Amino acid sequence: MLKYVVRRLLAAIPVLFGLSIVVFAFVHLLPGDPVAALLGQHATPELREEIRIQMGLDKPLYEQYFIYLNQLAHGDLGKSVINNRPVIEELGRRFPATVELTAAALLFAIGLGIPLGRLAARFPQRWPDAVVTVISLLGISIPIFVLGYTLQFFFAASLQWLPATGRINPRLGLDVVTNLMLVDTLLAGKLEWFADALLHLILPAIALGSIPLAIITRITRAAVLDVSNEDYVRTARAKGLAERRVDSRHIMRNAWLPVVTVIGLQVGGLLAGAVITETVFSWNGVGSYIVNAIQDHDYLVVQSTILIFALIFLVVNLGVDIAYAFLNPRIRYT
Amino acid sequence: MALLSVDDLVVRFRTHEGTIYAVNGVTFDVEPGERLGLVGESGCGKSVTNLAVMRLLPKPAGRIERGSVVFDGLDLATLPESDMRDIRGRDIAMIFQDPMTSLNPVLRIEEQMVETIRAHRKMSVQDARKRAAELLGMVGIPRPESRLRDYPHQFSGGMRQRVMIAMALALDPKLMIADEPTTALDVTIQAQVLELLRHLTTDSGTALILITHDLGVVAGMTQRINVMYAGYIVETATTEELFATPSHPYTVGLLHSIPRLDEVRPEELVPIEGTPPDQRREPVGCPFAPRCAWRLPVCWTDNPELIPLEAGVTVKTSGPEATHRVACHNRPTAAEAEAGRPLREGFVPAPPPGSVIEELQPTEEVVA
Amino acid sequence: MTTPATTVGTVAAPRASRGLWGDALRRLLRNRPALFGLAIILLFVVLAILAPVIAPYDPLDRDPGQVFKPPSAAHIMGTDKQTHDMFSRILFGAQISLFVGVVSVVMGLAMGGTIGAVAGAFGGRVDSVLMRIVDVLLAIPGILLAIGIVVWLDRGLLQIMFAVAATNAPIFARILRGSMLALRESDYVTAARSIGAPTGRILLRHMLPNALTPIIVASTLALATAIIDVAGLGFLGLGPADPRTAEWGTMLTGASSYYRQAPWIIFFTGAAISLSAIGFNLLGDGLRESLDPRLKR
Repeated sequence: MLKYVVRRLLAAIPVLFGLSIVVFAFVHLLPGDPVAALLGQHATPELREEIRIQMGLDKPLYEQYFIYLNQLAHGDLGKSVINNRPVIEELGRRFPATVELTAAALLFAIGLGIPLGRLAARFPQRWPDAVVTVISLLGISIPIFVLGYTLQFFFAASLQWLPATGRINPRLGLDVVTNLMLVDTLLAGKLEWFADALLHLILPAIALGSIPLAIITRITRAAVLDVSNEDYVRTARAKGLAERRVDSRHIMRNAWLPVVTVIGLQVGGLLAGAVITETVFSWNGVGSYIVNAIQDHDYLVVQSTILIFALIFLVVNLGVDIAYAFLNPRIRYT
Repeated sequence: MALLSVDDLVVRFRTHEGTIYAVNGVTFDVEPGERLGLVGESGCGKSVTNLAVMRLLPKPAGRIERGSVVFDGLDLATLPESDMRDIRGRDIAMIFQDPMTSLNPVLRIEEQMVETIRAHRKMSVQDARKRAAELLGMVGIPRPESRLRDYPHQFSGGMRQRVMIAMALALDPKLMIADEPTTALDVTIQAQVLELLRHLTTDSGTALILITHDLGVVAGMTQRINVMYAGYIVETATTEELFATPSHPYTVGLLHSIPRLDEVRPEELVPIEGTPPDQRREPVGCPFAPRCAWRLPVCWTDNPELIPLEAGVTVKTSGPEATHRVACHNRPTAAEAEAGRPLREGFVPAPPPGSVIEELQPTEEVVA
Repeated sequence: MTTPATTVGTVAAPRASRGLWGDALRRLLRNRPALFGLAIILLFVVLAILAPVIAPYDPLDRDPGQVFKPPSAAHIMGTDKQTHDMFSRILFGAQISLFVGVVSVVMGLAMGGTIGAVAGAFGGRVDSVLMRIVDVLLAIPGILLAIGIVVWLDRGLLQIMFAVAATNAPIFARILRGSMLALRESDYVTAARSIGAPTGRILLRHMLPNALTPIIVASTLALATAIIDVAGLGFLGLGPADPRTAEWGTMLTGASSYYRQAPWIIFFTGAAISLSAIGFNLLGDGLRESLDPRLKR
């Protein structure tokens, strides 16, 4: 088991280096002159040269890369060209918002997707299966922003059941501590504030969770159907076990394996989807930071954030691989 | 009274490809403690018959269309599912062909054995575990206490089949059904597992239905044999009699396709020509007719009944004096059975009747 | 359904086979959802081709005074903020979406296919180096890589195509490499080799068709993702160089400010994107089922 974990960790190292090279290339090999991009067309040649040296652009490329790596190792992601603030600070401030959103979306996708998949697998080729198939088809086919605005139009603008945008009613005057609204409202000891934050979370979580929901539903259905045909399930029935036990210990216990892997892979999609979701729902997270940066041509921010998201994705999947090994004795004991 | 009485059992599968006529009216009895072999090629309905007995046919395709399965005075075909569940594992246990896939890979052997015991007996987990260790020891697994904590993949194939046997015997069943229990094992392990199975069922007085395609396996194991073909029993006899006077062309064919090493100059193997019939068609005539060297014109249109070899005797359906019965219009003589082919002067197998051909030709697809 | 034919004298005649592709086609034609998907795709293709004929207006034409007008006889899908006719823009948008989607998937196939085939064919060190590169690209989730690339190369249709291709390429590379490796070891290729079939023939007749099926399925499904991703880039402001271009995603940039006032813009444009994605998803799933005979329903 330990050997397995170590092997997975070691395998992640070359990917990390590759990632740093890609992002370095994004940042430092921009076609065109990054100094011009920074200063605009009208800067004096002297100023340009000064900035060039300041940015280390006069050094050879490999040296620039090692400087960049060294900065990364110290948590230095550079400074925003717009307000000259360290990117890492802004990321740290916004990160909890994105965590809250993606976690809620993932919970929604798992909490609904697994029961739906099991339902479809219990009645294959019958109407529950058909309904579930249509839901998952819509889930993977409707873009997040289309679903997001549609939900806003119906549930916020028309029915007025839920707030359309934002993370909490700003008039409540909540003190931001962790920047996880659900935690902060509880810290403030106001249950109705907590409810308000929760209501704000519903629509964006559904919009963002729709794709993972579709995928988790499909994979659960397929896994349950596959496992149901296994010999050991027949053995379990032949032993006279109650159907409930056959289902939980023999079918689901095995069906979890592919489902867990796929859940891990969804985290990447959720982080990417957060960029769009946060734009639609004016959610002040890392995703909307990227979009603002795109509009401001603040490219360092964009690339650094991509690097951070990729890192999170790698770490999550490492965790999922280890969880998988835990669920699967064939890996745990070899 | 027979322990198990299967009467006119008909099982069909309704699939997207059409109906599959898997078992077409099978009747047999098993006495308490008796060891019965069920022999035939793959797809002949021997496994399906037993899955039907256990009511474990794949749902929703497989259905018992007709017939009864009386076990210990209960008709299993109509028993409520919850009562059936009590019988499975407790009164009738089953072991399957592939021990690699028949045990749940993610659960410890301990859990798989303990859950079986506790599904049928009110027993503490500790006691059930003790019983499980005892059983593992009984089937010859060394260090049973510690092996209980292992997962299936930590056992070899033969050892896994031993675990399956231990699990099947956990509740002293009255009947054990072993479906090709040794087919997936190495030849050297096969004999060990068979011997274990025989010895344990004899000791506990458990009746055994041994399903196999290998006449060699049943020879030393069983007291009686049913030969199945295309969902029918075509011959039934005590093991001794079946080997001494095989009386159905198919049985003769089976016997002639096993190499005999005990003869100085081994006779030539006579393979059975052709392949088993397509069971997607409702059977007409004798199912073996298309492959039979002894067939008469009547074989194409009339399926012979399973009748005693000698007319006028009282039929005994089970036990050591079970009547030798065969379903054939033109039984091979002893000499022909020995030779493996018809010896009558000028005999040629009857050609298929023209009407049948005409009837079927139009549905033949034209290959572009 | 055809009744399986049998002759009495011998064996059950196997159902007449028309080879891998013939059988697959026959199964596909029996798959109703897949046919429905195909119909949707064909509809969009026809609309895209005939857009200049059908569209009542030029997609860049303005109709002064007609700001955010709901659907009417003059503008059956209403107008947007710049007074463009939505119906015309959606029709011309189909041209861009389908074209960009197809080109980016083809580019992705060429890039990923080359990497995968080289890795699979050479194996060893080449394989591990190439696959590490693929791992790196796969570590950057979905549309983020595309965002990074478009930001890097600046907005524009060609850049979008390349960006979306780059997100698909590693997936194709993995699939092709996987099936090549599996096939190289498989019994029937060994069998073909052992009877002395020349390497080229083995590659062409035995390995390629089998490696091709998962690629065909993956590309069809990738078309759905590509259309959604392209729209997503457009929505984020990373669309065609000219922001007035009738591109479905770009048409929804800034929808936050008007979706209450002019919901039809989102409904019609959103329906166009979703429907075309549904079409490719249905067809892709249908292809998967019909190309893989082992996958019986």
